Amino acid sequence: MQNCLKIVVAGDVDAGKSTLIGRFLYDSGSLPDGAIGNIEESCRKIGNDLEFAYLLDSLEEEREKQLTIDTTQVFCRDKKGREWVFIDVPGHRELLKNMLVGSTCADAAVLVIDAQRSLTEQTKRHLQILKFLGIRRFIIVINKMDIAGYNERIFLEERKRISDFLHRIDIKPEYCIPVAAKHGDNLFANSRRMSWYKGKTLIEALIINCHKHGGRNFRMPVQDVYKLNGKDIIAGRVIAGRIKSGERVVVLPSNKEARVKQIMVFKQNVPAAGSPENIGLILDNSGGLARGMILAKPKLPDAQSRVSARIFCVHPLKINENLRFKSTTQDVAAHIGQIDTAWDSADLEARPKTDLLRELELAEVVIAAKHPVVTEKFEGLNSLGRFVLENEKREICAVGIIS
Amino acid sequence: MGELESKSIYIIREAYWEYKEKLAILWSMGKDSTVLVHLVRKAFFGQVPVPVIHIDTGFKFKQIYEFRGKYAKLWDLDLKIARNDTALKNGISPVNGGRFACCTQLKTAALKQAIHEHRLRALLVAIRRDEHAIRAKERYFSVRDKGFKWDYQNQPMELWTEHHKTNSERGAHFRIHPLLHWREIDIWEYIKQERLPVIELYFSRQKARYRSIGCQCCCQPVASTANTIDKIIREIRGTNIAERSGRSQDKEREYMMQKLRSLGYM
Repeated sequence: MQNCLKIVVAGDVDAGKSTLIGRFLYDSGSLPDGAIGNIEESCRKIGNDLEFAYLLDSLEEEREKQLTIDTTQVFCRDKKGREWVFIDVPGHRELLKNMLVGSTCADAAVLVIDAQRSLTEQTKRHLQILKFLGIRRFIIVINKMDIAGYNERIFLEERKRISDFLHRIDIKPEYCIPVAAKHGDNLFANSRRMSWYKGKTLIEALIINCHKHGGRNFRMPVQDVYKLNGKDIIAGRVIAGRIKSGERVVVLPSNKEARVKQIMVFKQNVPAAGSPENIGLILDNSGGLARGMILAKPKLPDAQSRVSARIFCVHPLKINENLRFKSTTQDVAAHIGQIDTAWDSADLEARPKTDLLRELELAEVVIAAKHPVVTEKFEGLNSLGRFVLENEKREICAVGIIS
Repeated sequence: MGELESKSIYIIREAYWEYKEKLAILWSMGKDSTVLVHLVRKAFFGQVPVPVIHIDTGFKFKQIYEFRGKYAKLWDLDLKIARNDTALKNGISPVNGGRFACCTQLKTAALKQAIHEHRLRALLVAIRRDEHAIRAKERYFSVRDKGFKWDYQNQPMELWTEHHKTNSERGAHFRIHPLLHWREIDIWEYIKQERLPVIELYFSRQKARYRSIGCQCCCQPVASTANTIDKIIREIRGTNIAERSGRSQDKEREYMMQKLRSLGYM
């Protein structure tokens, strides 16, 4: 079994994201028998044409309102056995939290733009958020070329407009493809109606190698401590690197050292273990060890109470408001001590110094934690480089990346 | 396989850390929940520290009961049976009252009783996204209010490993789905890798086998000659027939699954 590439399909409301995935599934041959028949029947009842989006939009409310409410994931396998997971996300501004949920699972992004509506505010927002979340691989799809009369000039104009914006936010897309998702143009085969387009089809563009690197240094957040036969077992998932029996590790943030006496996996002792295994460690000195501490070696992450970060706000946030800083198993009281700059996620203009962050804003901040937290610079999606902030209602109010 | 298992065990340990003895596993003895029980054993070094609940409708295959007895003992499970005896006494069945009422009474209501009786606050449930488009909308940690309702139009955020695990409402409980990201084929490859036992109904006899197992009256076998795990894996790789095509409750009416689930069905 391989870990297939996860692709988020983002873009504004009605750009045709769900339709694109639905049509792609249909053309790939990965739909079960009867799936299209069922959808046809549902569409007939409501009096619509065959709607590929219904393969994803399964809720009654989604079909009635013709929109995606919540994120969903579907597996796709083409006839050659290549596999992907597509993540569908809602386009509405009000449903941005659901877009975020889907996007944090993704390795790469397909951004869908409606050729008639061009680069909208919400498209810009999605692009900035995806970049903020560490996604580096982008495929741009200019959709609804059928409505645009399969016109090359319209495609070139749109491509120019989007390229200028991508350049400003430092995204280099891999491909920009003219598509009519509803009819399958340029998804699996070059469209005869757009013979002027000589570039890749979507399936060709989706053959991407994504390297997921977790880093070489050993990192294990302590998840829990179990008592088994009178011994403390330090349970956790190795998020990076490897550990061997007999090696010394540093416990952060306390900076104490301990030696690994045994490594347990299921009912056995093993000589060594590595990412992404869930293991149990018996240490020579496990006194005081608890959930939220990080075991590390040989190079250590930072352990400090003041953390510089870039955050994206899902709810409004005030300076000095009581928050929880949560990262892997760490959960520490914290507040925003300083806001350096803030800007709306659909815009690039920073606004003047402020004490209040609004919904859907990005900001450079300094977080002050009550106790030291263990962090690392966010490179290649490492878990200690990302966090969330929760408010007193225990809702996630911001997502953060260590800068 | 490593990533799949790793993510699941992590979620199981998170669930236990949050809920301890208020957590239970739903085990139907089907392939998915048997994998789930195995993952729990792996997470806790061979032990199962929480009760295991079987929602017994009384209409299950006899092989299911045999399997339950054998492995509950072998794996030292704290098995609890959830059965809606009142509804059974009143004679409910798929023919008497319809499938919707039958599933709701014998599964959802039985589960309600068990949650109340054992004072549970969270359940580990072995549903997967690829089984049904409604299940694909789920979160790993998914809250049900005290009326068992799933507010699918307003689910909390779940980012990376930051799951929303707390809800202060009295009587609310969490459904925790450690296998959400697995596919049917992954389940079978894992069963092979870990040499897990499965109920014989999954293997072909007289050119048919069950791909999904529940109540005898509402499950239809699919045509198949796959009588070994390897052959099942090969068959699934090549088939275009949906896994739950033999399950009546999924399709009796449009949105039946959504309606069942919004009332608290798995």
